[in-house]
Parts: sequence; structure tokens; C-alpha cells
Amino acid sequence: MKTTTRYERVLRWYPPQWRHKYGEGLVALLEDTYGENPLPLRVRVSLVRTGTVERVREVGVLGDTASPSERLRAGSLLVLCGWSLFVVAGATFAKFTEHWSVAMAASHRTLPTIADTTTQAAGVIGVIAVLLAAVLVLPSFVRHLRARGWASLRRPLTRAVVALAVTAVMAAGLIVWAHHLNVSQRNGGLALYGAGALLAGFVALATLAIVTSTVITVTRALDLPRATLRLLSTMALGVTVLMGVIAGGIGLWWASEAAFDPRFLASSIGSGVLTTSNTLPPALVVAGVFMVAGLASALAGSARVLGGFRRS
Amino acid sequence: MAKRTPAPTNELGRQSEPSFLILTSLASGEKHGYALAKDVEAFSGVALGPGTLYGAISRLEERGLIAPVPSDDRRQPYQLTATGRTALAAAVRDMRALADEGAQRLRLSVLSSRLAPRALLTGVAR
Repeated sequence: MKTTTRYERVLRWYPPQWRHKYGEGLVALLEDTYGENPLPLRVRVSLVRTGTVERVREVGVLGDTASPSERLRAGSLLVLCGWSLFVVAGATFAKFTEHWSVAMAASHRTLPTIADTTTQAAGVIGVIAVLLAAVLVLPSFVRHLRARGWASLRRPLTRAVVALAVTAVMAAGLIVWAHHLNVSQRNGGLALYGAGALLAGFVALATLAIVTSTVITVTRALDLPRATLRLLSTMALGVTVLMGVIAGGIGLWWASEAAFDPRFLASSIGSGVLTTSNTLPPALVVAGVFMVAGLASALAGSARVLGGFRRS
Repeated sequence: MAKRTPAPTNELGRQSEPSFLILTSLASGEKHGYALAKDVEAFSGVALGPGTLYGAISRLEERGLIAPVPSDDRRQPYQLTATGRTALAAAVRDMRALADEGAQRLRLSVLSSRLAPRALLTGVAR
């Protein structure tokens, strides 16, 4: 392979704009330094790392060169990414813990009920906030389509619509199938149904990732008015607070279950999938990891938003 | 309370940071990527990787501290801007003040071992 082409391939980790400006110089440097020799692994790793950092900087998530508006936008979108991870975690928690109140003795229900109700209320408010944000962005989206047409956004939007359609079809098929099965078959008795449900879960996860990525692509392309951007950023801060409330509520519920009804955690949640535990059932641990990652993303985004507010 | 203005040294980072090393290298004239990497390694012993070097170059250009020199070659040379020269001078002054303070407290000679022979030779020649 031609040396220059070989080096240019390594630069694919960098964003296109960066490559356009510095790519040729960097390729020349690599040629001068390594010539025909293979690129050392540490240099390859370093290029992947610095290229990724440049991509993150380009969207305004890192660095001090982005404008306050870009910081607000990037921070808000980071909060949205965190919220998406929370949706995954929330759905997992909801699915695996839906019968907790039946299993627990009435005398111990007060604390987990408060935690559960608070979590659900915060979740509903969060969903409303995210939908409201979509409504706020809508006029700018329409303006963008009128001015520039569909061409620039067709690809990500098509991808998102196809992913949503596939998920909807799979979910509908699974629901119809479930209606023809008895309780035992639906709860692990029929391996094929279990595999189908697992596959549908993964497809839903992929769809959520695609839709989030589309929302980010579209929002970055829009020319948002300053007032709208500030309002969206304030809402992002609010959503981060709600995520904290949800995480706290789930933590409290989990601790209550472990203290008052450990058998429910051991026998009802993910029993026999990997291992059983009366404090840390695998399914909830996985959901917890998603939740922590989501909260970390939202906190990083909020810090970026606050930085943008201070500078604007 | 008055907000503390960060010193230029902090903006450029410590003396071993790529930004400071690149500005120091360009202080003696324009250079392209490879020449910069070699020069920095020669005077500081720090081997800047290609990704790190170009990351720092792009950051310095964004801040207006360096600028590309028009060239037909693929090896794009860069030079210090007036702002870059001022920032580097301020950073060097800060570092010198810190070094002097450290030397004074340690009761060291103000001449570093690296500069001493050259300074002594200059003295002998006079």
C-alpha cells in the first residue's frame, strides 16, 4: 500500500474538518519520522486517542476554545446522552422489580413505596421535560428544512425512522406471541420466547442509541435562537437534578429491599441467569452500571452548561 | 472578591507541556512538524508524539499564538505570532521568577549546570 494512503487511513479517527486543515501536515510528519517502516503501536494508539479527543472537542464537549453557545449546546446534548442511558436502566429496573410490593410484607412497605413513587414521579417529569425540549427545537428544525431542505439530514433521520419501525414491528410481534402463551412460558418456560425477548431488548437498545445519535446530529445542525438555547440548557440542568433524584430513589428502594425482603432480590430478579444474590442481583447491577454512566454523562454535561452560562 | 487572573504560565501549562515547548522552539524561527519535533527533543529531551504535537499545534493556532506560514510544501511551517511571543515571554518570566525563588531557598548557584559552561566561556572570551 502506498505510504501516504497508509498514513491517511490512520487519520480517520480525526474529524473531517480537522483532517482538512492539519491532515496533510500530520501525514508529512509521519512520513518524515517513520518512512516505509510500520507505525509503532504506541503511535497508532496515540493517534486514536488524540483523534477521538479532537472529535470530542469539535462538538464542544471539551476544551476552552468553544463559544459559550457551543458549550451550552454540547452540555445539553451530553445530558441527553445521560438520559438515554437512564431510560435503559429505568426500563430494566421497572421490568425486573414490577412485583416487589406483592412480595414484601405490608409493615415494611412505607420506605420503598416512598422511594418508588418519588422515582416514578421524577421519571415522568423527566420524560415531559425531554418532550418539551423536542417541541422547543421544532421551529428551528422546520426553519432548517425550509432553508436547506432534507438533504443534509435525510441520512440520520432515515436511519432513526427505520430503527424505530423495526423495533415497533418486533415489539408488536412479541406482544401478539405473548398473548398465545401461558404465564409459565412467558417467564422462562419457553426458551425460544426468552431468546426473542432478549433479541427485542437488544434491538430496542440499538434503536435508542441510533435515535439519540440522530437527535444529536440534527440539533448540532440547527441554528437555535439564543433564548431557546438558554432555556434548553436550563432544562438540561433540571433533568440532571431529576436523574439524581431517580438514582437516589432507586438506591433507597434497593437498600430497603435488601434489608426487609432480600428473598425477592435473590429469587425473583434474574434468578439463575448468571448467579443469584440477596443484595446484588446481576440484572440490577447491569442496570445500575447504566445508571451510573448516565449520571456521570449528565453531570459532565451540566458542568459544561454551567461553564457556558458563566462565559455568556 | 476580585477574580484571580491566571498567569500566562498556567495558560501554556508547565514547562514540559507541548504548548510551551512548541512556542519555545518557534521562538528561534519558523518550523514544520518534523523540524519542531526534532528541535523540541534536542533542547528538552521530550519526544512529542505526532498526535500530541499536532493537537498542540491546532490549539495554539486556535488561540492565535502561532500561525501557518504560506507554503507550497506539504510540510506546513508555523511561526510565532506577536501574541504568542508575548505569552511565551510572560511564561518565561514567571518560570524564571519561580526558578530564582527555588534557587535562593536551596542556596544554589543562579547559574544552572547546563548554562554555566557557556556563560563561563563567554566571560573568558571577554
